[in-house]
Amino acid sequence: MRNSWAVLSLTFIANLISQAAGVSPPGKPRLTSCRSPEKETFTCWWEPGDDGGLPTTYALYYRLEHSETVNECPDYRTAGENSCFFNKNDTSLWVNYNITVVATNALGKNISDPVEVDVVYIVQPKSPENVTAVVVHEDQGPFVKVLWEKPRTADTRSGWITLLYQLRVKQEKDKEWVEYDAGRQKYYNVFSLHPGKYMVQVRCKPDHGFWSEWTKTTYIKMPDYLPKERSLWIMITIFSVFIVLILIWMLNMKRNSVKLCLLPPVPGPKIKGFDKQLLKSGKSEEIFNSLVIQGFPPTTDYDDLLVEYLEVYDNEQQELVLDGKDLSEDCIKSKSPSDCDSGRGSCDSRTLLLEKCIEGREGSGSDQHQYSQHGETSWASTESSESQGPEPSSPESVDGRVKTWPIVCSSPEPQPYHHYQAGSAKPAYHSVPEILSHLSPHATASNYHQLHHQDIPPQEVLFSKPACSHSQSYNQFNLDGSDTPAHGVPPSRFLGYVEVQRVNPENMLLLRPLSDPNSELEGSDCTGEDYSKVKEVTSNNILFLQRETSHQCVDNYSPDLDSQADQCTSQQPPHPCKPAVHQSYSPMPEEGMRVMGNGYVDSTVLMPSY
Amino acid sequence: MMAEGSRLYFAVTVLMCAFVSINGVGLNDLLERASQLSDKLHSLSTSLTNDLDSHFPPVGRVMMPRPSMCHTSSLQIPNDKDQALKVPEDELLSLARSLLLAWSDPLALLSSEASSLAHPERNTIDSKTKELQDNINSLGAGLEHVVHKMGSSSDNLSSLPFYSNSLGQDKTSRLVNFHFLLSCFRRDSHKIDSFLKVLRCRAAKKRPEMC
Repeated sequence: MRNSWAVLSLTFIANLISQAAGVSPPGKPRLTSCRSPEKETFTCWWEPGDDGGLPTTYALYYRLEHSETVNECPDYRTAGENSCFFNKNDTSLWVNYNITVVATNALGKNISDPVEVDVVYIVQPKSPENVTAVVVHEDQGPFVKVLWEKPRTADTRSGWITLLYQLRVKQEKDKEWVEYDAGRQKYYNVFSLHPGKYMVQVRCKPDHGFWSEWTKTTYIKMPDYLPKERSLWIMITIFSVFIVLILIWMLNMKRNSVKLCLLPPVPGPKIKGFDKQLLKSGKSEEIFNSLVIQGFPPTTDYDDLLVEYLEVYDNEQQELVLDGKDLSEDCIKSKSPSDCDSGRGSCDSRTLLLEKCIEGREGSGSDQHQYSQHGETSWASTESSESQGPEPSSPESVDGRVKTWPIVCSSPEPQPYHHYQAGSAKPAYHSVPEILSHLSPHATASNYHQLHHQDIPPQEVLFSKPACSHSQSYNQFNLDGSDTPAHGVPPSRFLGYVEVQRVNPENMLLLRPLSDPNSELEGSDCTGEDYSKVKEVTSNNILFLQRETSHQCVDNYSPDLDSQADQCTSQQPPHPCKPAVHQSYSPMPEEGMRVMGNGYVDSTVLMPSY
Repeated sequence: MMAEGSRLYFAVTVLMCAFVSINGVGLNDLLERASQLSDKLHSLSTSLTNDLDSHFPPVGRVMMPRPSMCHTSSLQIPNDKDQALKVPEDELLSLARSLLLAWSDPLALLSSEASSLAHPERNTIDSKTKELQDNINSLGAGLEHVVHKMGSSSDNLSSLPFYSNSLGQDKTSRLVNFHFLLSCFRRDSHKIDSFLKVLRCRAAKKRPEMC
């Protein structure tokens, strides 16, 4: 008891003295790491603690797990300072090592913390060796092939250790490395490198262990090259440009059909009498002139005519007017030089209108002979008289005979002679002359008019549609037989259009009255003006007219007859189209409002007559 | 007609399968595949150990049994390279297979106990343990094929019985025992892997560049 007490006190005093002297036992060493480079040997390193001011020695002791024997490190030198190297003989695998380091100096020793180590878990190989990089030139372009060798000590050949390699590549100016895993092989091809100088490094790792250190840098220079892909693209571009050019040329050759396909032509409006060429030439005046019916509605000539009264001789010879004559006048029209489409559709129509201006000549009763049935002589005479020329004012040359043509009017002059306006003034009636040409002097006592043609220049023969006024007047003449401007034509029941039934071999026109589907009457007694309503228009441009039965023929002129009706209204008030006012008007024959085959409605009949 | 055709077809298929199973895959490829499996096995066990270590109580380390207490420690294996390279192939193979066989029961126990482990990472541990079990089964089957291929007898397998059927009574001891068993397995899986890779390179004389 007293001894231990003495020892303790002595130790305490010795420590105090040693501390005062500045020396102390060593500090605790520390094992930093143990590593095995090839799974055959291993090395442990420690870190010495404070040496306490005195020379300190270190010793490493180890104990295997299944024995109690403590061994000391066999080799302190091979691995350097503060290390312990275990060679092959001292290394056992799959066995735990309990390792401690003891630091000893004059004053004492210190033992580090023990560390349990199993060699197979601390494998870290050395770096690969002999790293080489070469540039390989291939068809697709050059690339870099990197080759290396395994670390010298690792025995991979027997399979004792399995190493996995990794390389990294960087251009000098780049910040980051690009890493590639090479697996167990000892080479690697690096593609897609830009021209320039590159740095290459390689390292390795065991299948279960730590990565080795990177090798020293290997430099490789990547040459400049033109990528093959670019030349291919150049060829593709040239080829496609070529193809495009060919396509354009082909399209150009077929541009018309292409245009037809893409932009199909829009059918333009077909308006009769509308001259497209005129439209293109841009002269609107002419275009619209062509649409205008010359002379319709009756112009001043007509007015003059209306105020003009015809002198009609009332004698029996007048009665011998050719039967079935159509009295149709349109002397006014004769004046107009317009073409045949100007509302007087009759000239081209299938129906041939005979128009005779019947003009009585005052006092020349002998003239009436001409109206007899032996009309041929008169015909002939008139014809001869006609032949003198187309002027409207030339009948004097004839033997004083009045023309037999019942056409009242064309001339505004109050001449006793009724000129018939030579057809020359009417270029419209083309068909008429043709018909005339077939005529032969022939007289038949029939209801049919026979036209004779002898040397009559076609232009002089006038077939025209009856102007409404004229027919009206004719009617009146027929009915009243008095103050109305008679035509010197015996009243005929038939007032209307005739149509050529046929041409007989003797070149005679056989006429027959045109039957109006809508009317039963001819020369009806309807006192009221008889405007017809258009019932319907068929597809053949035929107007079906409605027959009005009321006396009070109300204002019902056909609205279809636009222009003509308008022109009608544009007439002076004395020439109204309102039929109701003028009871004196004899009814317009239905036939007057004949629908012509070419789609025009002859509205001349609509015109009021005096 | 149809029956005959189908019968013929069936016969041909059977013959082809038999041929393939016997001769279809070369030994090199079989060993390559086995090495890959054993590599995976060891990696899994290492990651499991790391997961367990992340939250292991220090007292557990004190309580840990010594590695010599592993039930497979009685098996005599080469301890260094020179010894290992002297061992003939079939012995190496049987060693590997013995080890593998020794761990099928303990792993079953581990996988049943993993879900009730007193550890924050027990879900991960549980899934990895299950994966471990599957791997062992695959590897065992593969090694059977290798045995047939090599022509060695499959009778000289060492028996390494595992007697425990529970890890412990309290949660700490269960955790500690779990960790201990896992560490034993980690080492043994490394042994298996090493042996198989030695076998692989020994058989791959035609392809020396891989070894």
